Amino acid sequence: MEEISRNQPPSDIRIAPELHTREITLNMGPQHPATHGVLRLVLELDGETIVKCTPYVGYLHRGTEKLGENRTYLSALPLTDRLDYVSSMNNNIGYVVAVERLLGIEPPERAKFIRTMVAEMGRISNHLLWLGTHALDIGAITPFLYVFRERERIMDLFEELCGARLTVSYPRIGGVRNDVSQKFLDDLYAFTEEFPGRIDEYETLLTVNRIWLRRTKGVGVIPAEEAINWGLTGPVLRGSGVRYDIRKFAPYDAYDKVEFEIPIGYNGDVYDRYMVRIIEMGQANRIIRQCIEKLPKGPITIDSPFTLPPKGSLSRRDKERFNKDYYSRHFVLAKSGPKEAPQGEIYVATEVPKGELGFYFISDGTGRPYRMRIRAPSFVHASALPRLCEGGLVADVISNIGSIDIVLGECDR
Amino acid sequence: MTTKELIRKIFFVEIFKGMALTFSRLFTHAVTRRYPHKIRRPAQPGFRGLHAWSGERCVGCKLCAGICPSQCIYIATETDKETKKLVVKKYDIEVLRCLFCSFCVEACPEGALALTEHYEYADYSREALYMTMEKLQANWDKYMAGKVEDYFKRFWGPRPEDFSTPEEQAVFRGRK
Ligand code: SF4
Ligand code: SF4
Repeated sequence: MEEISRNQPPSDIRIAPELHTREITLNMGPQHPATHGVLRLVLELDGETIVKCTPYVGYLHRGTEKLGENRTYLSALPLTDRLDYVSSMNNNIGYVVAVERLLGIEPPERAKFIRTMVAEMGRISNHLLWLGTHALDIGAITPFLYVFRERERIMDLFEELCGARLTVSYPRIGGVRNDVSQKFLDDLYAFTEEFPGRIDEYETLLTVNRIWLRRTKGVGVIPAEEAINWGLTGPVLRGSGVRYDIRKFAPYDAYDKVEFEIPIGYNGDVYDRYMVRIIEMGQANRIIRQCIEKLPKGPITIDSPFTLPPKGSLSRRDKERFNKDYYSRHFVLAKSGPKEAPQGEIYVATEVPKGELGFYFISDGTGRPYRMRIRAPSFVHASALPRLCEGGLVADVISNIGSIDIVLGECDR
Repeated sequence: MTTKELIRKIFFVEIFKGMALTFSRLFTHAVTRRYPHKIRRPAQPGFRGLHAWSGERCVGCKLCAGICPSQCIYIATETDKETKKLVVKKYDIEVLRCLFCSFCVEACPEGALALTEHYEYADYSREALYMTMEKLQANWDKYMAGKVEDYFKRFWGPRPEDFSTPEEQAVFRGRK
């Protein structure tokens, strides 16, 4: 492997005994544009080779877990938007699925399909942004605007769906916020028809480009076994050749009712992770199409003690429709959260674009979690950065950071 | 390396393919917009923008303040001695801390609060974004005029239809 040997320091350089070399320490970040947020790396360099790499995180710490413990199950949802702000839809769904399992409720079929559909839209939009910035970091500027063209359309669709573009807060415990409109479905279907052609465009620009290959092949190699030991998940793990995807192995929402494949890589290098994500976008597109085609009719939220009751039955001025039970339930839920939440602990993992996002709750029977722990994929992936970077060149640090696709909002929580 | 690969390598085939794609994009629409000088796109209906509040409708139940994840709604009420009714004395929203989640709109049992489609309200001072009762009422009069019924029918979730199967629900209609 010629590419790998490039990472080792050349052995034929002889240094005269009276001359000394010294390793220098380089601070990269926290405001480096290529660190995708506020990640700080302390690099010890021997020439251009990295001897030691230490990531420092915590610059974006907002105490999300603690904040979640001070909010009711209902109103902690928007906090998850701000974890991984690039794919907030997937975070929302991860949170909602976890709370639903804790409360023991099941959303209706239509809501499940809608959620699966929007989650895959989130996946596409996340991978598009990743592709654009990753390529930009490595030096390919052209794809950057190309991916934003498509991402903008997904953002517009989100805006049409729920009134927000980035921090969507769309799913709700026991269903979704509002139904999809016919225009939305038609627009989304039109998008899925042309999106495969767009992926081909990105591939024309990158996949076989010799500069791209030189910058990504054989860089940041991590074999399957080590990837598992480091706790890597998502496309990074699959790039190393491990077939692991929570959507397949522990399906939630409607993932057991749609067909899709899990792409896996062979070498576990930056290029394989790139290919895995490119293919995943195509598969996500496929899932969206199936969801639209199979979308059943039916309610979009369940009527349970844990969901807000229908409006119109609450107004005390409207004596005709006023429903006392609903009113008191609404009052309790809005003020202090679900009262009869079961006690116990639960860990629920979902597959977000970056890997496995897990929510761990300890419930003490009140409307708020006693403990809310978030297993953020970016945090685990950032911890593997030294393993990927050490022994490599300085220039490859940027490819490595890009390839593990971290978002520091989620990493620092 | 086969001959085909060699030829590809020597003649930079993949580079030229990429260049051709880039060149062809020269003749398509620009994807960037010159905001705010050229295009100010109106927000889609139901956009979660600046708050508006109606003093007439509000009954002072404080549910919106209770559900608000960022605790940025401040309400003070008083019972009127004669009529024995709650009177809202203070209703402030600190928009800078708002998450625009629309939970307050969903929690309000009376439909007294709405998120309007107005999204360009950046300012230089904090005070300008601290919405007092009067400002919120002015927003209501300005941005919700004539839209109130429609707004609450469509965006005041969960609606009664969401619990059942309405006739006109959106489904896949086949390829265009
Ligand atoms: S939109 Fe959300 S954060 Fe803003 S005031 Fe309403 S409930 Fe609070
Ligand atoms: S929930 Fe509605 S009625 Fe109650 S205090 Fe808030 S705005 Fe007024």
